[in-house]
Amino acid sequence: MSAVVEPEVRAPPAAWRSLTQINPKRSLTLCAIGAVAGLAAAGAALFTAHGTTTLVVPAEDVALVNGQAVARSDYLAGLRALYDASPSEATPAQRRKVLNDLITEELMVQRGRELDVAAVDPDVRAATVNAVEQSVAADALTRIPPPEALRAYYQAHKDRYADEGVIVARDLVFPPAAATAAAEALAAGRPVEAVLAQFGGRDSGRTKGEEFYFAARIHLGGAVFDAARATTSGGVAAPVSQPDGVHLVQVLRNRAPIPLSYEAALPSVRDDYTQAAVKRLQAQHADFLRKRASILVASDLK
Amino acid sequence: MEDHPSRRRWRAAVLAAVALSLLGGLALAGKLASDRLMIADPDALAPDAATVRLARARGAIMFREHCAACHGADGRKEPARGAADLADRDWLYGSGKTSEIEGVIAHGIRAEAPKTWKLADMPAFGRARPSAADPTLQPLAAGEVSDLIDYLQALENRRRDTPGAERGRAVYTARGCHDCHGGDAKGDPGIGAPNLADDIWLYGQGSREEIRRSLLDGRRGRCPAWAGRLSPGEIRELALYVHSLSESAK
Repeated sequence: MSAVVEPEVRAPPAAWRSLTQINPKRSLTLCAIGAVAGLAAAGAALFTAHGTTTLVVPAEDVALVNGQAVARSDYLAGLRALYDASPSEATPAQRRKVLNDLITEELMVQRGRELDVAAVDPDVRAATVNAVEQSVAADALTRIPPPEALRAYYQAHKDRYADEGVIVARDLVFPPAAATAAAEALAAGRPVEAVLAQFGGRDSGRTKGEEFYFAARIHLGGAVFDAARATTSGGVAAPVSQPDGVHLVQVLRNRAPIPLSYEAALPSVRDDYTQAAVKRLQAQHADFLRKRASILVASDLK
Repeated sequence: MEDHPSRRRWRAAVLAAVALSLLGGLALAGKLASDRLMIADPDALAPDAATVRLARARGAIMFREHCAACHGADGRKEPARGAADLADRDWLYGSGKTSEIEGVIAHGIRAEAPKTWKLADMPAFGRARPSAADPTLQPLAAGEVSDLIDYLQALENRRRDTPGAERGRAVYTARGCHDCHGGDAKGDPGIGAPNLADDIWLYGQGSREEIRRSLLDGRRGRCPAWAGRLSPGEIRELALYVHSLSESAK
């Protein structure tokens, strides 16, 4: 009997290498590699992500106090303020002192929150209100106003942007009975000193040479200033009766306010526009807070 | 030799894995470099270090995006805005250290931010109440304004011989201008009071009318606070770039 020779059964091509065939070992291995890589990435993110509990202090901070960051910029500012030094210039003791001060401050702030000091301390309340308003205002300040908006603002508030008027005048006071004759004499161009002497008048001394309109208004009073402002250079203002006599203002020079061009007024326009935007944003923010709040007002105040 | 399809797929998979590893490595290296930059003393960074050069390049992009609208694309003076020239060595606030620049970028100037640089405003001496902060401050008379302009222009030209300039000098002293600008009119970088004795003008070019406007209307230049809008790392990069602008200046 002849022996039957079994044909040699060759192993199939290694399925591990063939991506066209399913191989459970390969699947498990790749799955394990993926899981390990995923866990590593998640772990790294967990310990470095901002705002999570972590054992690593982020590079932009110098400490974490109960998870709350103490910013490196505050540390640098502290060194600069206390010792006028950068970290490399400061001594180890100076660096420790600034760091410890910042940590203590943070601990106090956290304790303050626990004690709810903002509820009772007016200074803390005022500072909190101010800080919130500032944070709202910051949005308006970082935005560059478009030129057309600035120009429109200027057009709408043009009367604000004028060079202050300037006046040089003498405020003369006469007895009521002599005022009309004194006014005529002054208008006729007679010397002031002679008119004062003839009609028993005096210089009130309220004016001080060349003055801006606002200063002249303060010095002369509203009624006398208005009469003076309406008078051209070289003229005598209409008489104004006051308790101390009749005031006649001799206007030596009167230059009315000159409106400023857009270009000349631009720095002020930009400032005013930004301030108006800040006020608008703050008002909107206060409205928003009111709308989302539950506010009960005592019945006697409704 | 013919490439088996399975082998081609393996090769693609290996290439993808290598590319992913490289990307991951680059991201990690970037993060480590950024962390090193943050931890380093900003005033002691070597300007030619690769990290600093990279940071400046990134800072330049941010500058164009956030700062160029006021300071100009090259950081040169914008006289109409009163935005300081960042490319010279005349610093309005501080002495031009990177850490100081970083502070200004983060907290701004008169920026309605808690840590902003806001110690003084130039009063509007042409108004009935020149300063809201100091109710005792009195306005200037028209003649005093004129004399002060004479004095300031004489300072710039190094001439003090005109009668107006002499009177202006007396006004400068008597009305407390020296409180902010100093007895020698050389300014105070601690509060951002400009040097009035050099030929660098923050607003305009030093013409009579421009000085007059500064005296009458006051000045309150602002720079926004970028903390919270830019990350601390970005602020440092921006500060390094701004600092670099002045390095080539005389």
